[in-house]
Amino acid sequence: MIIAATRRNAWIVTAALAAGVIVVSLSALAFGSVHLGLVDVWSGLRGTTPKAEVAVIVKEIRLPRVLLAILVGAALATSGTALQALLRNPLADPYVLGISSGAALGAIVALWVGGRAAAASPLAAFVGALATTMWVYLLGRRAGRLASYTLVLAGVVTASFLSAVILFVLTMLSTRDVRGMAFWLMGDLSVVTNVQLQILFPIVVMGVAGLYALSKDLNVLLLGEEEAAHLGVNVARIQTAVYLLASLLTGVAVALSGAIGYLGLLVPHLARMLVGSDHRMLLPTAALGGSIVLVLSDTLARTAVAPSELPVGAVTAVAGAPVFIYLLRRTAG
Amino acid sequence: MPRPLRSVRGVLLFVLFKAMLNRMEAGQRWGRRCRRLILILAALFCTTPAFAGRIVTDQTGRRVRIPDRPTRLVSLAPSITETLFMLGLGDQVVGDTDYCEYPVEAKLKPHVGSILNPSLERIVSLRPDLVLGSPEANRRETAERLERLGIPLYGVTARTVDEMLASIDDLGKVLHREEEASRLVDGLRQRVEAAAHRVGNRKPPRVLFVVWYRPLTTAGANTFVSDVIRRAGGEPISHGLQGEWPKLSLEEALRLDPDVILFPRSESFSPGLEEFHSLPGWRDFRAVKTRRLYVVSDAIIRSSPRLVDALEEVARVLHPSEADKVGAKP
Repeated sequence: MIIAATRRNAWIVTAALAAGVIVVSLSALAFGSVHLGLVDVWSGLRGTTPKAEVAVIVKEIRLPRVLLAILVGAALATSGTALQALLRNPLADPYVLGISSGAALGAIVALWVGGRAAAASPLAAFVGALATTMWVYLLGRRAGRLASYTLVLAGVVTASFLSAVILFVLTMLSTRDVRGMAFWLMGDLSVVTNVQLQILFPIVVMGVAGLYALSKDLNVLLLGEEEAAHLGVNVARIQTAVYLLASLLTGVAVALSGAIGYLGLLVPHLARMLVGSDHRMLLPTAALGGSIVLVLSDTLARTAVAPSELPVGAVTAVAGAPVFIYLLRRTAG
Repeated sequence: MPRPLRSVRGVLLFVLFKAMLNRMEAGQRWGRRCRRLILILAALFCTTPAFAGRIVTDQTGRRVRIPDRPTRLVSLAPSITETLFMLGLGDQVVGDTDYCEYPVEAKLKPHVGSILNPSLERIVSLRPDLVLGSPEANRRETAERLERLGIPLYGVTARTVDEMLASIDDLGKVLHREEEASRLVDGLRQRVEAAAHRVGNRKPPRVLFVVWYRPLTTAGANTFVSDVIRRAGGEPISHGLQGEWPKLSLEEALRLDPDVILFPRSESFSPGLEEFHSLPGWRDFRAVKTRRLYVVSDAIIRSSPRLVDALEEVARVLHPSEADKVGAKP
């Protein structure tokens, strides 16, 4: 079923997706619980609107959220694509290695210990993600190399252990903190500051660019570790680099938006159907596709039950699982 | 008012004051010109009542800059909406939550969404000059995001009946409804005292308050629910239980052996008190066997003025004969 596109077609796909990100993002600015026309959005963005509240809604509420969705979507989809190649496992996603559970535990412990200093929670989440990444990495190493099955098992067990600890800590927290945590755990793009976006942007760009630079090696890695070694690839070094870059992308994404499920699993598969499994094409396609999917999901999350809002993780999970099953049946048949 | 305009006005006011002072220092008598100056000053103040605002400490201890005379209010909790309407501020409420159902007029106001996840853009679009929220009802994230947008948020909180009454007084001051507030509070206080008097020195039955039964969730010792039960002549069995809505193990509740079990009225509870007679564990409560299970007004879980209605109802339920005697008096 996988269509092996020619390089030229693949470039057209990439350009079309890049245009898609822009179109989808601009239209996302027009949707929300308050009805705004395209004229309002445009004048709000340019700051020429006479209505102060329109400018606030467009620039300070919707725009940061759309930008966060673009960055987080790209980060999760790229990280998922790289991990699927690294672990040679189509079921791998950014959370399979326990990163999101580590981030969640970090954030929850920060709330538990620090109480009102909620501003520290993205940082604590990132520290939690990083610590889990290192721990799973150490567990997954065999004779200086990452053994992909050991790594997956170490990740899965660590994740379930951390989830148990999270449940334990949640019972100690006050009702008010648990309410906020519950939204974050389900994936929520609504709380982001401009400073956080400014930190996130270069990290995501560097992470995606770093993985893109390794895309040839990822292609070789897919053949198997021995084969890759025969072809002159320093397997241990590539594995470590891919693992760390993917973890970094996931870590920053989870720290700011919680665990948004299915995106990092599904988008790589969709991208592979579009451009084939050459990572030089696959990674940019997945990154752009991830942005589009998350911006669309968040727009749905903001409008489906307006004026209330859904956590975007609920939308991606509800939509993602059936799509995944459909893809599975189609490729299997 | 945009910031540049505000500073222009500031300069203007300064110049005018200076002119007046110079005149007074020079010993000139208050002539026509001076009167005109005063008129201009008055006009400046009157047309822009939100001039710079004032910094107040809200009920949660936050320092917040609010307008001198807020006129467009958004309430983020049903208890606050109820209080605003009772203070005669219903007309100034420009938005409330999906759950604000009392009084009926509150239902007709534009809604900003749920209590936990209101739509920020809906709030902005209503152009409020003051948003009122509560740490017991709302998420901290909502408060932070409002702060970041520069929308003043006044925190309202109450953990006892007295604090609820003080909270009304405080809102009265902040929103320039002192008289209405003190009238309301006096009336409520009288009713609270009347209930206490009615209950008198009767032996307080030991009460289990059930917010939810699976798992058994009750109201903590230091909450307004426990306070209401105490004032209504009962003794909540949740001593030492911290937090607002702590969980209590069923066996511990059985060991504490409450005389009465109370439930707040809700869609899920109203039909099925009978269920507890057959529910394992629950059917062993003495209170279930003696049929001392009651559903009381859901006002008991809201720190609004109607908390006093709930208090009176609980008093009647806990001490029925006494209450009946009072009720039978001509």
